[in-house]
Amino acid sequence: MASVIALSSPVRSRSTAATTESPAVRRLLIAVAVLFMAAFLVLPLAAVFYEALRKGLDVYLESFANADARAAIRLTLISAAIAVPLNLVFGIAAAWAIAKFEFTGKSFLITLIDLPFSVSPVIAGLVYVLMFGLHGWFGPWLQAHDIRIIFAVPGIVLATIFVTFPFVARELIPLMQEQGKEEEEAAVLLGAGGWQVLWRVTLPNVKWGLLYGVILCNARAMGEFGAVSVVSGHIRGLTNTIPLQVEILYNEYSFAASFALASLLSLLALVTVAAKSLLEWKIRRDQQIAIRESVA
Amino acid sequence: MSIEVRNVSKNFGAFSALRDVTVDIPSGELVALLGPSGCGKTTLLRIIAGLEVPDAGRILFHGEDATQEHARERNVGFVFQHYALFRHMTVFDNVAFGLRVKPRAQRLPESEIRRRAHELLQLVQLDWLADRFPPQLSGGQRQRIALARALAVEPKVLLLDEPFGALDARVRKDLRRWIRRLHDEIHVTSVFVTHDQEEALEVADRIVVLNHGHIEQVGTPEQVYDQPANAFVYQFLGDVNLFHARVHDERVLIGDAEVELDHHTLGTGDDAQVFVRPHDIEVLLAPNGSATLPALVREIRALGAFIRLELDREDGQGGVEVQITREQYREFGLKRGQRVYLRPRAARVFDVSEAARH
Repeated sequence: MASVIALSSPVRSRSTAATTESPAVRRLLIAVAVLFMAAFLVLPLAAVFYEALRKGLDVYLESFANADARAAIRLTLISAAIAVPLNLVFGIAAAWAIAKFEFTGKSFLITLIDLPFSVSPVIAGLVYVLMFGLHGWFGPWLQAHDIRIIFAVPGIVLATIFVTFPFVARELIPLMQEQGKEEEEAAVLLGAGGWQVLWRVTLPNVKWGLLYGVILCNARAMGEFGAVSVVSGHIRGLTNTIPLQVEILYNEYSFAASFALASLLSLLALVTVAAKSLLEWKIRRDQQIAIRESVA
Repeated sequence: MSIEVRNVSKNFGAFSALRDVTVDIPSGELVALLGPSGCGKTTLLRIIAGLEVPDAGRILFHGEDATQEHARERNVGFVFQHYALFRHMTVFDNVAFGLRVKPRAQRLPESEIRRRAHELLQLVQLDWLADRFPPQLSGGQRQRIALARALAVEPKVLLLDEPFGALDARVRKDLRRWIRRLHDEIHVTSVFVTHDQEEALEVADRIVVLNHGHIEQVGTPEQVYDQPANAFVYQFLGDVNLFHARVHDERVLIGDAEVELDHHTLGTGDDAQVFVRPHDIEVLLAPNGSATLPALVREIRALGAFIRLELDREDGQGGVEVQITREQYREFGLKRGQRVYLRPRAARVFDVSEAARH
């Protein structure tokens, strides 16, 4: 998970003559990196699509006609559609508070936001079972009122929210801190109200970082396995998300169907990576234009 | 619109930024808050703007207490040191911002907003940059756009934080004069913060000298330069030579040389610190009775219109800096190592105990 955070900073360092190796060393290092990537990233990804399409396009498409598969896709989309906007709002609120204001307990709040990154997703799922499960703290009360959270859609949404909680906030906090609060102060002195400052000054300034956080958040929301697995109960057509359905199908030796669904997740990953690089490229280009034109 | 600052104090943790500061800023004047970094001048400006809340004291605009008013309601124009232009908006949208965020009832129609924004861009002579974005502008241009944006809401007072600090020397000089002329045109009460005494002396109607969170002196540029209230003000407003002097039979002696002082209250046996500006020391090639101090030329530096001499006193009591004109330099044909005689023309004396405070 740490690698996700490290990657998310679109800052590049420039190499100088003093820090550059000889061409032979450079080629060797690049070759090692490419081989490693091919073995551990490209090959498995290609295998997914190969397995999915091995029995032909008909079988591949048929896999998606299956009612359980459709239910799994729907549930994945629903939980992402709830978790991502909620974490978007939370992330903006938390980043705004942390970056623009001084208050006691600030560093504690930052640590708290990082908690889902440091806790195993399985533990996150278990916590919800302990709270809302049949024998959990609120279990009897929930049962008395006929509300199902564990082994039902609400539990899956809760687990997804927990796991994807830090993405947007983590992306925005350093960005907003770097930008400071002078523009907001200027807006207030010009007569802008709190919401006007947020909509007209703060959010436009972080829009690319925000989008970047949302993309990562969405990818994780759709791909999460551990936490969701614990609270789901694996009820076919009801509480299975795509990753859970993939595992079930695989365990039942329905390889084609399993890989077909898996290819969907892989496709999502590829789109995410593409969107992420596009954004990084755009941010970098904006910065370069800004630098070039401020020099000119 | 006048500004009155009444007994304002402000602490940041253990650091006291302002201590019981009281100052009046008369309507229509251009006032400089001058002081070294950390003296509290920016804090005072931010308190006037409402960006900081004072721990004690009050701010009055035109005699009315504004201490409790939110920064939004104070109707002050503020120009930040680094301009704080909205980076994602065009220059035009930046200038129009203040007009567009007004409550619907007070907002002008869009056509009127456009007309006003263009008018302001013309005032700062940058109408042709309306469609650019802030990162595409030079420092001087950004500064003027920030000013146009602040003036768009017709502020009662204009506050500028180190307005020339981030610019290079040439642009700074031009902009300084331009701001002075602009102020003479629009006459809005203005306060600017600076650590550059030259800037304050050139631009301001009145200078407030701050040090360690309190006011050392308030006065016109002539007053603070010619009649500094204390050693700090004297030293801060220009280069200075410091001599230790003895008082003997009502005569003030630096080494063996006697200095003439306008007024002093020193008695025989007192130690005093005598301050002399480098351009207030006369250089003579021959001694003149008991009134001159022999010294050797150590270094000669040409500073544009003037020549700066660095000299060592022959009695070994340290160095002296003297500024002379190029004509005089040529006439004397001064060389390194040459002996000359110095005669302080105008000197100021401050009590040692008082000077030590700074």
